[in-house]
This record gives sequence, structure tokens and C-alpha cells, in this order.
Amino acid sequence: MNEIEIVKLAVQGDRNAFAEIVKTYQGRIYNLGLRMTGNEQDAEDILQETFLSALQNIGNFAMKSAVYTWLYRIAVNFGLKRLQLRKKQYGHIDIDDPDSEKLHLEHLHNWPDFNEKKVNDKHFREKLDEAMLELPEKYRTVFILRDLHEVSTIDTAKILNISESNTKVRLMRARNFLKDKLENLMSHEERS
Amino acid sequence: MKDERSVMFDQVCVFLGQDIDSEPCKIIQKHLQVCDNCEIFVDKIKKTVKLYQTCNDCEEVPPAKVTKNLFSVLNLDDLCPEVDDCGCDK
Repeated sequence: MNEIEIVKLAVQGDRNAFAEIVKTYQGRIYNLGLRMTGNEQDAEDILQETFLSALQNIGNFAMKSAVYTWLYRIAVNFGLKRLQLRKKQYGHIDIDDPDSEKLHLEHLHNWPDFNEKKVNDKHFREKLDEAMLELPEKYRTVFILRDLHEVSTIDTAKILNISESNTKVRLMRARNFLKDKLENLMSHEERS
Repeated sequence: MKDERSVMFDQVCVFLGQDIDSEPCKIIQKHLQVCDNCEIFVDKIKKTVKLYQTCNDCEEVPPAKVTKNLFSVLNLDDLCPEVDDCGCDK
């Protein structure tokens, strides 16, 4: 049975079909919540809220979009609400107006490829997570959806209810911000 | 007035908001071949994205307890996956 058939059955109230949808997407929704909030308990709460909402509203799902787009939209909304509540916990850096001229003046040098040892270094990974959590949520969410979950630009725009061009700009700013963070991290490690 | 390099750099920034290997990005490939700064910049963006992707498994199954709690909240306990599927302790 393909996904469309499973979703049709779920829309009609079939519990087994809905459970199949949960099994298929629980990992992605949990990961989305974890990446958005950086907190396991929040991720679990977002996961439960998302599928509870989906269960309550599946009968109204018109199947005009893919079910994952629908689930992601619900999850992102719960994630953003949760972040709003915790906003004061994070000190965000304003990256609305990146200084592109400054980028031209960077002393550019190549990076080495990141080897397996580096990728598995716990301290290094914690620093990567910290850098991502420093991103304002509107950029972080786009980065998670586009680059980590490989959602298309058009679907990301639909999920976040923003334009495609805005999605692209936010993605660029997120990538550039993380690149700079990585640059600083590597410079710091070289010096120590 | 911006010089040619600045204009091209702006285009790189805009295009990098898309898939890096997408068709529009090919338009600037020739420039990147002769502009060291842009080439290094793009390489770093690619490596940054690749690094985060490597460190993130978005299809990773949640901890068994999380799955169990989820199916319980949904009143789907009887349909919770077996241990082999998700580590769920039925």
C-alpha cells in the first residue's frame, strides 16, 4: 500500500493507517523539534502535540499537499510557539543586514575536509549545536528544513507561510552565519 | 557604483540560497573559476552544510521511551512498533 492510500484510510478514521503515518514520520518530527529547540523534552512535547493535532484534524485533511508538508507545518508552529516562550533564554545575534562588503575583505584561506574523527568529536559537535541555536529561529527553521531535512524551497515556503524568495534569502543568511561560526571555531582551535 | 566583482558576489549570495548544485548556480561557475575569494567562499558554505548534514540524522528513530509515550498519548498503544522496529518496550 502506498502513502496516498494509507493517508486516505487515515482520513477516513482508520487507526492502523494513522499509526503507520506516525511510524513513518515520528523520527523526522522529533529531529525537527530537537534541532529547533536544542532540548529533548521540548522535542518530545512538540512530537506529541504535532501528532495529537494531526489525529484531531486528519478528517479535514484535504490531501492538496503531501502529508509530510502538513505535519511539518503543524510541528513548526508548535516549535515556534515553544521558542517564543523561551525566547529570553537565547541571546540572538542580528543577522538581518549582513555586511557583504566585509565578506570581500575576509582573509580567505581554504578549509581542510572534515574527517571522521573531527565529526565524531563530542566537544566539536556541541559547538556546532550551540552555533545553530544562536541563529534566530526564522533562519534556523529554514536551515533545518532545507539543508537538514532536504525539504524543497517551495514546500519550505508553504510550511512557513513565506515567499520562495524570502526562503532563499533566509537560507543564505543562515548558511553564512554558520560558516562564520565555524570559521571562528576553527581559528580558536588552531590557536589553542 | 558597485564593481563587477561586487555584483557577481551578490549574485553568488542570492544563488547560494538555492540548492548549491542547482541550474542557476552553474551560470556563475565560470566566474568562480577565476575568482579565488568567491571560490573559497562557496567551498566553505558547501563544507558547512555538509558538516551539519553529516552530524544530523533526520530520520533517526526517537528514544524508545519517547515512541512509547507518543503512542500512549495517541491511544495507539496496541499499535506501537515492536522492539525491533523502534526499541519500544511493549
